[in-house]
Amino acid sequence: MEYQENTVSKNNFEECIKCTICTVYCPVTAVNPDYPGPKQAGPDGERYRLKKPFFYDEALKYCLNCKRCEVACPSNVKIGDIIQSARIKYSKHSPTLRDRMLASTDFMGTMATPFAPIVNGILRLKPVKKIMDSVLKIDDGRTFPTYAHQTFTSWYKKHAASSQAAYPRQAVYFHGCYVQYNYPQLGKDLVTLMNAVGYGVQLLEKEKCCGVAKIANKLIDEAMRDANINLASIRKAVHDDKMQIIATSSTCTFTMRDEYLHILGIDNLDVRDDIMLATRFLYNLIDSGQVKLVFKDGFHKRVAYHTPCHMEKLGWSIYSTSLLKMIPGLDFVQLDSQCCGIAGTYGFKKENYEYSQGIGKALFDQILNSHVDLVATDCETCKWQIEMSTGMPVANPVSILAEAIDIEKTKAVNKVVV
Amino acid sequence: MSQENNRHYDVIVIGGGATGAGTARDCAMRGLKTLLVERFDFTAGATGRNHGLLHSGARYAVTDQESATECIKENMILRRIARHCVDDTGGLFVTLPEDDLEYQHNFVECCHKAGINAEPIDPKDAIRLEPAVNHDIIGAVKVPDGAIDPFRLTVANVVSARKDGADVLTYHEVIGFEREQNRITGVKLRDSKNGEITSRYADLVINAGGIWGHHIAELAGVRVNMFPAKGALLIFGHRVNNVVINRCRKPADADILVPGDTISLIGTTSSRIPYDQIDNMDVTQEEVDVLMREGTKIAPSLAYTRILRAYAGVRPLVASDNDPSGRSISRGIVCLDHATRDGLEGFITITGGKLMTYRLMAEWATDLACKKLGRDVKCRTAEIPLPGSELEAHEGGTVMTRPKAHIIDLSTDQKAAEERHGSLSAEIKYNTLADEAVVCECEQVSVGELKYAIDRLHCENLINLRRRTRLGMGTCQGELCACRAAGILVKANKCAERTLRDLSSFINERWKGMYPVSWGESLVEGQFMSWLYEGVCGLDEIALPEDKIDAK
Amino acid sequence: MKYDSIIIGGGISGLVCGIKLLKAGKKVAIVSSGQSALHFNSGAIALFGRKDGKDVLHPLDEIARVPEGHPYAKLGMDTIKRLLPEVKPLFAEAGITLVGSDNENHYRLTPTGMFKPAWLSMLDYASVSRPDSLPWGKVAIINITGFLDFYPDFIARGLNLAGLQCEARDFTVPELETLRKSSTEMRATNIARFITGDVIRRFAAEVNRIVAETHADTVLMPAIIGLFDEEPVRLLKEQVVCPLYYVSTMPMSLCGMRAQMRLRNHFQHLGGAYLIGDTVCSGNFDGGRLKEISTVNLGDMTLEADRFVLATGSFFSHGLEATPNKVFEPIFNLDVNVSGPRVEWCDVDLYKDQQYMKFGVVTDESFHVYKDGSRIDNMQAIGAVAGGHDALKEESGGGVAILTALKVASDIINELK
Repeated sequence: MEYQENTVSKNNFEECIKCTICTVYCPVTAVNPDYPGPKQAGPDGERYRLKKPFFYDEALKYCLNCKRCEVACPSNVKIGDIIQSARIKYSKHSPTLRDRMLASTDFMGTMATPFAPIVNGILRLKPVKKIMDSVLKIDDGRTFPTYAHQTFTSWYKKHAASSQAAYPRQAVYFHGCYVQYNYPQLGKDLVTLMNAVGYGVQLLEKEKCCGVAKIANKLIDEAMRDANINLASIRKAVHDDKMQIIATSSTCTFTMRDEYLHILGIDNLDVRDDIMLATRFLYNLIDSGQVKLVFKDGFHKRVAYHTPCHMEKLGWSIYSTSLLKMIPGLDFVQLDSQCCGIAGTYGFKKENYEYSQGIGKALFDQILNSHVDLVATDCETCKWQIEMSTGMPVANPVSILAEAIDIEKTKAVNKVVV
Repeated sequence: MSQENNRHYDVIVIGGGATGAGTARDCAMRGLKTLLVERFDFTAGATGRNHGLLHSGARYAVTDQESATECIKENMILRRIARHCVDDTGGLFVTLPEDDLEYQHNFVECCHKAGINAEPIDPKDAIRLEPAVNHDIIGAVKVPDGAIDPFRLTVANVVSARKDGADVLTYHEVIGFEREQNRITGVKLRDSKNGEITSRYADLVINAGGIWGHHIAELAGVRVNMFPAKGALLIFGHRVNNVVINRCRKPADADILVPGDTISLIGTTSSRIPYDQIDNMDVTQEEVDVLMREGTKIAPSLAYTRILRAYAGVRPLVASDNDPSGRSISRGIVCLDHATRDGLEGFITITGGKLMTYRLMAEWATDLACKKLGRDVKCRTAEIPLPGSELEAHEGGTVMTRPKAHIIDLSTDQKAAEERHGSLSAEIKYNTLADEAVVCECEQVSVGELKYAIDRLHCENLINLRRRTRLGMGTCQGELCACRAAGILVKANKCAERTLRDLSSFINERWKGMYPVSWGESLVEGQFMSWLYEGVCGLDEIALPEDKIDAK
Repeated sequence: MKYDSIIIGGGISGLVCGIKLLKAGKKVAIVSSGQSALHFNSGAIALFGRKDGKDVLHPLDEIARVPEGHPYAKLGMDTIKRLLPEVKPLFAEAGITLVGSDNENHYRLTPTGMFKPAWLSMLDYASVSRPDSLPWGKVAIINITGFLDFYPDFIARGLNLAGLQCEARDFTVPELETLRKSSTEMRATNIARFITGDVIRRFAAEVNRIVAETHADTVLMPAIIGLFDEEPVRLLKEQVVCPLYYVSTMPMSLCGMRAQMRLRNHFQHLGGAYLIGDTVCSGNFDGGRLKEISTVNLGDMTLEADRFVLATGSFFSHGLEATPNKVFEPIFNLDVNVSGPRVEWCDVDLYKDQQYMKFGVVTDESFHVYKDGSRIDNMQAIGAVAGGHDALKEESGGGVAILTALKVASDIINELK
């Protein structure tokens, strides 16, 4: 008789054998006693919630959704997904105005960018921070990311769009809200780097926020809407135009690949494998001998790489770090993989600020003791957190590569004639 | 002999199952000086080894109207008096394509005759009501089934009996009777902890020993033939279904799936066993295969749901014919006055019946006892709620457990404790941070709850604690919590030697249930258990042989 | 991506093998599907500790007598003697101090107060050369208030049986009060996060106070200090007035987690690629060789290597899996050594011999694995997945894991020269 050939349960909650390894690697458990820990919040709690929704514990909101529990689990239990799904299904708390503001990264960006100098200035003012702290519960210890004067897409349209078609091969760039509103330079670096190896950079027909902040703040309908818009454009690019989607944010990438399916329940399997980080895309090209990078002589920096949580979950830091290690003048330091504590909008919230900084402390100490010139990481919110908490400059590996390559020689060796 | 041992009782009740505990409660409530004795722990026999189904009676409607009528009456009573032990899930009787839909018509008719509200519904509605049911069903009937926790029910009866002055002795085995001519005047007891033998005296002894009552009657010199029919069940790791699913056909193997607390149960098989095998409750590979083969027909997801353990119980039916399956036997109540039946005064046997009718059995036995003792007191067990069930059913509200000092909401272990002990959970003390700590993470049992159970609910060992609280009944089957609980227990009993042996036995008892289903996660869990308790701790050094440690 | 060697499994065996390969200049990657069983380490590593239920004093004598098919028999005495001296230095380089002799077992004190034979004990874990003569004098057993995974009463029983006097006490420090508010997370590894820096000084003061009050000669404490490295252990030791030893707690095992992290860091610092949380899903075999493997995370980018090592552990780590009807190796469906039908895999008595403990993949004398009856020439199995030994009944798991790892690493180094 064929039965019990394989046991499966939603997010594998039943495959948990209660070994407790996940709790050891949970960054929140270590600092916040009100959080029940991933095992309790996840598979243990799930059995009780299945019995009665009465057993839902609002303390699940303290979960960072870093997924380090999942990475540690020897039994492949999707602990983070269990917790996030439970929040969506059972939590009776509706998002506050603050949550909506923090979650609506694209809306806030659209509003702020035209007035960037004013907004940036205002957000730094002490009285404004105090008001945000007391009224909106956005912690006044937090430094806000600055808004750019010009969005990435308006730069792209003016300065890059027209020249891209000339490159022999094409890829589509999912820039994300951060590049769009806060730091267009990273997008420009990506274009530089890709152009140098012979790839033109296109944009999606329509790009919305990936939705990570909306999911975290329980704005599920809004997240679903954005996700569907993104997927429609991604499908067009992948299926019709035969292009792959590259991104510079590990979190956007992770969200579109995994959270769409696991948390929002949107089937993305037809395009999932075509959504990837730019570093993976580039590494693959180099590894398979399709392109080469030629580096400048004068680059000398000691760089520490921080593995963002979602990068750890993706298992892709090997691509970013391998690329960095190719730079001859780069003295590479691998930081211990641990959470920086920001977790997107989590660390902005007043109730989480202290925990957020507590979680990141070990990482900050390690960075400050490693005597580097620069920290490299693939996540924008990690960048804010580390810059604010250590004073060290932080750059995306793509920016470091764009700076380190000899553009003309790289173009030449790849026979790029544009 | 101490003064306490000389105390003369009106009634001694033998047997710590639901019937014995219920009889002790009824006797005590009617003002009889009562002693309840049990050779092991409460619920160690058939009471703790069944489906935990709050039968509507529908299952018996076609074959046994009398039982069906009793069931539905008691069902309604238990919903009132034992709220905290009952989970009102509702039930379905479903017809599979391979079954005869004709049976359903007769079934519904019989249900109505017995006073059971059986309502045929569209199979589509049944699937909506319980998505775990086989989607190919061709018929469905809604019935007022539910789940009942036999552990809680029995202990609540004990607590009630004690409140009304009853004395209770667990781990005291009846090894003989005191008698004067043709009258039973007391029982000889052996204390299983120290082997000490004592006697207790009473005007009347009630044998409520279930299947073991056969042997007790023999000790008294009378004959009550029991029919031992073994039934095996499987426990799945979580609630697969939230509504009881029965198969609408003549009762057969594995045709009931019951959601019980955090888990679901499929059962049972039925096989006749010799009387000398009633303490040997190993589940065979064949029984597991039958349960899976039939169980997956009513709920296909069972085929890929983790199984926590297997166990078996013995139906305490009174033999009446040579039916090899035991199924057509009446589950009716048998209440014997051995004075009229056998000329032996001072001795009553209450047997037959089933968990559902334990209260009625107790009522019959106590009525007879009162008659024999010349007391004229009415039974009130159908009206007065059991301890823990005094308050209205609630969804996380009415009970007066206070949130732990430093958090606003009730913690999960407090919510779980409320479900387990009803209003009695207010007696659980969270005096210190240490009391708030959770011992059993799967089933959410705190130090405070364990201390409450040790103080109030006759807990001498870890198995007692498990039956009172669900400690070690969850996914990991005690692998994480057993040692912690032993650490709490040893503080109370001050005997490290005994507690360590107990720990070693407890772990082995948990494995015994995992063993018949030792593949997949159960094997992983078993290996993990071995590493910790044998590898890391070295408990094999003091292990008792497996046959010495059966769930007692 | 191309490596000289790829090791599947990142526990003690995979890491030891990887470290040795890296030191020989090889390019190595480890793919680890979640964390390892090392997290449940008892505070010691065993080479060969028990035979037929009796303690073994001289492990090499028993190893010389293991039956054919046992990993130690395949290694052979010469190889074992050649590899044993490598063990302590390798761990020391990673920052793990191991104490013990290859020729004679000592005894470790278990969390329930028993004494079990051990080969190498972690730094300052409670151990003695013979359980019948304990050199500790009067013992203060000191717990942290509210810590449920340490059992002073059981340990006291064990010491009393050996004729020692002891007294149990507990204490706490304010830094732990926050942690205690969590009803589930007061665990050894979480406590250890707080016992650093200045807290160690106050910790020592509390311990010294109890020593003075109890007139103790020796202190036993739960292993709740030194999560990331051994430094806090040394610091506390310096500040406590009498000998202080640690007793392993119930999970998580602090020293196990420390060992895991130290070995992994060491591996990474030597340049190894450690892919954690990734699962190998298939392999591409060609002409009796494994060419490349695919993983869940890396998708269509395969991992190629000249040599592969299978270090996936036993059932716990999913090196083997079981269904009602079969036991199999889940990644490549390699041939497995399994005896009999399901009823014979286990014994209903937990403490009796469990046949499944010995299950493993089929290997030849040099640990090469088999698939569909054919040898895979560039893939060897090490540690628990290699099977053929009862790690529990023999107390041989650690020794087999480490020695097979070192042996296979030597093979690869020699062959790739």
